[in-house]
Amino acid sequence: MVRHFLADNSLGQLLDWLSRFGALHGPIRTAEGVEVFGPVQAEDDLLLTCRRTLIPPKKYLLPPRQVILNYTAADGYTLPDETAPQVILFGVHPCDLQGIAYLDRVFLGDRPDRLYRRHRDAITLVGLSCEPDEFCFCTSHENIPRNADLFLQHVEHGFLVSTGTSKGEGMIAGLEPLLSDLNIAPQPLSENRMMTRLREVAKNGETFPDSPLWEHFATRCLSCGACSVCCPTCYCFDVLENGALDGTTAERFREWDNCLFRAHGEVAGGTNFRPDRRERFHYRYLHKYLGFGALAGEPACVGCGRCRVVCPVGIDLTELFTEGGDARP
Amino acid sequence: MHAPEFDSVPVPARIQSIRQLTADTSLFRLKVEEKLPSTFLPGQFIQLSVPAGGEIPISPADVPSDDGTMELCIRRFGHVTSLLLRAKEGDRLGIRGPFGNGFPVDAMSGKDVLLLAGGLGIAPLRSLLFHLLRHRSDVRSLTLMYGAREPAVMLFKTELLDLATTGSLRLLLTVDFLTETCQTEPTCNVGLLPTLLKGVQLEPGNSCAAVCGPPALYRCTIDELLLAGVAEGDIYLSLERRMKCGVGLCCHCAVGQLFCCCNGPVFRYGDIKDIPGAL
Repeated sequence: MVRHFLADNSLGQLLDWLSRFGALHGPIRTAEGVEVFGPVQAEDDLLLTCRRTLIPPKKYLLPPRQVILNYTAADGYTLPDETAPQVILFGVHPCDLQGIAYLDRVFLGDRPDRLYRRHRDAITLVGLSCEPDEFCFCTSHENIPRNADLFLQHVEHGFLVSTGTSKGEGMIAGLEPLLSDLNIAPQPLSENRMMTRLREVAKNGETFPDSPLWEHFATRCLSCGACSVCCPTCYCFDVLENGALDGTTAERFREWDNCLFRAHGEVAGGTNFRPDRRERFHYRYLHKYLGFGALAGEPACVGCGRCRVVCPVGIDLTELFTEGGDARP
Repeated sequence: MHAPEFDSVPVPARIQSIRQLTADTSLFRLKVEEKLPSTFLPGQFIQLSVPAGGEIPISPADVPSDDGTMELCIRRFGHVTSLLLRAKEGDRLGIRGPFGNGFPVDAMSGKDVLLLAGGLGIAPLRSLLFHLLRHRSDVRSLTLMYGAREPAVMLFKTELLDLATTGSLRLLLTVDFLTETCQTEPTCNVGLLPTLLKGVQLEPGNSCAAVCGPPALYRCTIDELLLAGVAEGDIYLSLERRMKCGVGLCCHCAVGQLFCCCNGPVFRYGDIKDIPGAL
């Protein structure tokens, strides 16, 4: 496999080059000290060794709130005239790349979602290798996810640059002066025990109905929904419509919803199919680890570790898999 | 049948007429201004848009007609239906769909068909009833058991009694309780819907049942249906969930790992009986 070597001190030139193709975004630290994906003003802003951003890059593909239809009395409902600006998303870790691959399967499957498609097409993914910590587990930190247009792997004094798509190849054409060819053997797949267990669980459709952990989770959970907000593959959305104060126009939008919220399972008249937290956990578990609809049998968890980091009461659904044997990495 | 995309634009539909059925329920006849999105099957649902209110999933209460109209039975339940019940004839709404699978009318062919409706559940079953009456010779017998809370809120009563007089339909009505003003109308049974099933015996394999009603109805009628001899795979349940998108994306309507909007809303009892929380 041919990869290119990019020296540390040439990174700035690479970033300048990539900026020609769109607005450069990557992991940065906000004034409040939060690590997020955001616009990169200068090379120094980039957090090259960031463990994980608070919110995954799904926000670029599924904005938290997105207008899907406009209404006027004269024209009825019409599609919004929205354009998605070109974004170069730099520093996407393998877990988040896998998260995007999962969302692509959901939103670009049989019936492609027009708005998702628009945002997805406007994004160039530049992956970056990372170091796992005690919260995360993935199988891919040494393998290049296929959906990265470009992928940078940290090595001593620089990065190994590889291309995953023809778009990526086209982008680095002309950068030869910065890159030197290296012949490197593909690295063997390092299978993580937790991820192996997770795949087993999904394949067998295990639901652990008798586990005392469900009750334990349900009594501690605050229903804050943070685990879902920060999940790279959580995409449940609500659809709402607001009339404008002029009385003749309206906007219909979709916005992130959350299966930990009580209203998620409610129907007209107030009946709720998931009235208590235990049932909502079951729902979350089913969707996250066993999959819904066409993706049944495939875990949606990419092992990024965000839900374990953010839960204010330390709930970790993967404990269900490790009861009786510690598979925690 | 191919359901439209989630972000398809609602087709304009004007309110042609509004017939008030009870204090909080009206039957709307909508005239679709453009060509009908597609024909629909009994039990499928459409997404009805009320400008500045939003969208709600509703199953039509009649069968597709040549003049591009459809009937929707609306009860005041929430924000959107409250706006709807303030709408006037001539107002413009929007329609997307149809979505979902609908009742498997072909599988009912040659069988004794039992329709069990509770409350507003009569609306989708009225669609199935009209369809089956149009193709009456396809099924062996046709029975409608309909239960309402009290006589005053029984929907389509005159219409159903008229249909029953033709002999093509066996009609059994029940109310949960009698109210003072209606005690002079002893035309129906008093008791919960499952009481109508007591002692009924059907031929296993040659009978089927379609059920639609409030969530509590399913739990209390299934045992009676099984006792009456209807096979698990011949009990069709139209489930209610909060279908926001209609195409399996928004994830509000999951029944186990299935989606009510595209795998349903009509499920065979045998397929969902082991799914926790399905009923």
